[in-house]
Amino acid sequence: MPTIEVQRQLLPILTSPNQGARFFNPELPSSEPFVPGHRTCAGCGPSIQYRMTSKAAGDNTILVGPTGCMYVANSSYLCTPYNVPWAHTQIGSAGSFTAGVAAAYEAMIRKGKWKGKFPNIICEAGDGSASDIGLASISGALYRNHDCLIICYDNEQYANTGIQASSRTPYGGMTTFSPPGPEVPEGKKLFPKDLARMMAAGHPHCYVATASVGYPIDLMNKVRKGLNNKGASYLMVYTPCQKGFVYETPRSIDLGRLVVECGLYPMWEWNPEKRSYDYSFRPQTMRPVSEYLKLQGRFGHLHAEHIAKLQKFANEQWRMMGVELPEALIQAADAKNLVNMAAAAEAQAVAETL
Amino acid sequence: MATATDVKKRMVRINGCVASAQAAKYADVDVIAAYPIRPYTATMMALAQMVANGELDAEYIVADSEHSQLSISHGASSSGARVFTGSSGVGVQFAYELYSPISGSRMPVQMMIADRTLDPPGDFGSEHTDALSTRDMGWIMGWSCDAQEAFDNHLIAYRIGEDPRVLLPQMVCQDGFFVSHITGDVELPDTGQVKEFLPPYKHPYPLDPRHPVSHGPQIMPEQGPPLQLERARAMEESMPVIEQVHEEFAKIFGRKYDPWVEEFMTDGADVVFFLQGAHAVTAKFAIQHMRDRGMKVGMVRLRTIRPYPTDRVREVLSKFKVVGVIETNMGLGSPSSGGVLYSEVCAALYESQHKPLVFSFMAGMGGEAIVLKEFYWMTEKMLEVQKRGKIEKRTHWVGFEH
Repeated sequence: MPTIEVQRQLLPILTSPNQGARFFNPELPSSEPFVPGHRTCAGCGPSIQYRMTSKAAGDNTILVGPTGCMYVANSSYLCTPYNVPWAHTQIGSAGSFTAGVAAAYEAMIRKGKWKGKFPNIICEAGDGSASDIGLASISGALYRNHDCLIICYDNEQYANTGIQASSRTPYGGMTTFSPPGPEVPEGKKLFPKDLARMMAAGHPHCYVATASVGYPIDLMNKVRKGLNNKGASYLMVYTPCQKGFVYETPRSIDLGRLVVECGLYPMWEWNPEKRSYDYSFRPQTMRPVSEYLKLQGRFGHLHAEHIAKLQKFANEQWRMMGVELPEALIQAADAKNLVNMAAAAEAQAVAETL
Repeated sequence: MATATDVKKRMVRINGCVASAQAAKYADVDVIAAYPIRPYTATMMALAQMVANGELDAEYIVADSEHSQLSISHGASSSGARVFTGSSGVGVQFAYELYSPISGSRMPVQMMIADRTLDPPGDFGSEHTDALSTRDMGWIMGWSCDAQEAFDNHLIAYRIGEDPRVLLPQMVCQDGFFVSHITGDVELPDTGQVKEFLPPYKHPYPLDPRHPVSHGPQIMPEQGPPLQLERARAMEESMPVIEQVHEEFAKIFGRKYDPWVEEFMTDGADVVFFLQGAHAVTAKFAIQHMRDRGMKVGMVRLRTIRPYPTDRVREVLSKFKVVGVIETNMGLGSPSSGGVLYSEVCAALYESQHKPLVFSFMAGMGGEAIVLKEFYWMTEKMLEVQKRGKIEKRTHWVGFEH
């Protein structure tokens, strides 16, 4: 039997300036595959990301939701925020379930069992799923190059289970599995796994990029580039968690900017054709990490030496992107020039709110 | 219905693994999820070659683990594709997390299992513990005893599982090596017969952008009981469909199987073996020999263990004086301190007016063949029990006692 050629859709790239998150933008698509009415927290970074991402993808989309906040808080039996097909899968099945959906559509369209354009297949995995338990399954899907987009909504912790450290939790980040105490004053002692680079290095044929909710147009364009790429794509998005990071609710988007401006979340794209990183994204300003840390209770216990360590880490990230460091940031990597975040008693008070 | 003149059947000599692969080809599966582990691997090797040769148009995915195999199958089946996967031994257990979600979301994934003993200590031989440990996960499950039956069971299982009244995944099991690697004559049907028997897979609510649905949302505790009841009912209500499908299979293919139990020389028998799978082939030879010597022995082979045919097992076994359960599985610390089949048999017989004496044999463990001599020994044990009127002990380890 002759096979039928699989037709794929191509989404246009938005041209609006990157820095216009809070104003009406006529270029944004009107479709809302992810609607309000779910149970996520006020200011939830992952759900802001979810709305932008699904908006960018449009209606011919299938969403896969491995266990995590975006499963538990979004889908409540007998009511659903998804206007497009959505399926839960196990937390370790992010890449594999998605691969199954993509493979099914390849085969069904080719064999004439389903008629229409190949759908956008998007997996929304948390960083616990993507960096820990589901890492192998995502690597498998990227390696085999299924036509899908795997998004890691990175809130730097297992938030749904009550704020536990993942391998994406930053150094010094307080979680219930990495609490600070007299013996371990910094809380989390390990630096995070560089997951996005790992995906780019290990699967160079895939489109890989990092993004942040602080830059919605950039995020939506990266989603579209990922979907337009025939084959697998991986997108890692910074999505602050008000509950775990302990900040003032309206500041989610601000944090999404600050984390990039202070160099803790490098923004880049991996171009699978040129086989090279694109570091051309530049935030409007560069800031010391302390300006990002001081807004969040999870860092409230840090001493000057810990902040210096984080600044050193951020400076290394800037260098990796080929950015020349201003003197102020080099100075900020020296503990002598820094002060502790808070007195021990104040830090303790924050810990108790978790 | 295919008429006699245009039916192009052919006899081939293949092993159980290849028979399973052939069945998947005849079922025109869309997605295949493979991962190597002995002994089932040969099925996936055969399918890979069929895809490479262009005999079968399917997405052949080499997964990164058994967990991924089953997740891929879950995703593909949820999207509306017919799916084939499989495993053996510890591979079956690596995927354990997915068994309940797949049956709970009512996806008729089919999994071929060629049994292998669990670790420790790295034994290739067949023991049914791998599949049996998943028996309560909501999958339709049964054993074949030769390559022809394996081929047939795959087609039958697809038809049952994909029936809109059922929508359940199926584990189609065969003994590692005794079936998977021993060649036998298999009649491959005409494609017209298969088309007639097995309509294309059509899930009522797949992941289709034109008809959005949400699969598997989070529930509150009070929403749990009705959903669990639905799952229990699905298993129960599959029973009449299973019977109906076996009848239709016999009409189209000419091979008639009792869906639940196969009885062998049970007429006038006082003592019977109760077992599953390939050792039934040896048992039949042994029973014929012993019958020639005047021993009133027979055999009952369970063909489908999930859903468990409680009433049927009770009716069949109540006729006898002694039932010797051949386990071929490990149930460490189980009620009989042997395997898990003993409890299933006793549960079925509890409501019977005429209860035979029941005890069990640990035989065929680790993939050892159960030889004729051991069947004679077991028969003598059963006859002794019949004479004594009570059992000596619940479990005998064959080969470790006189």
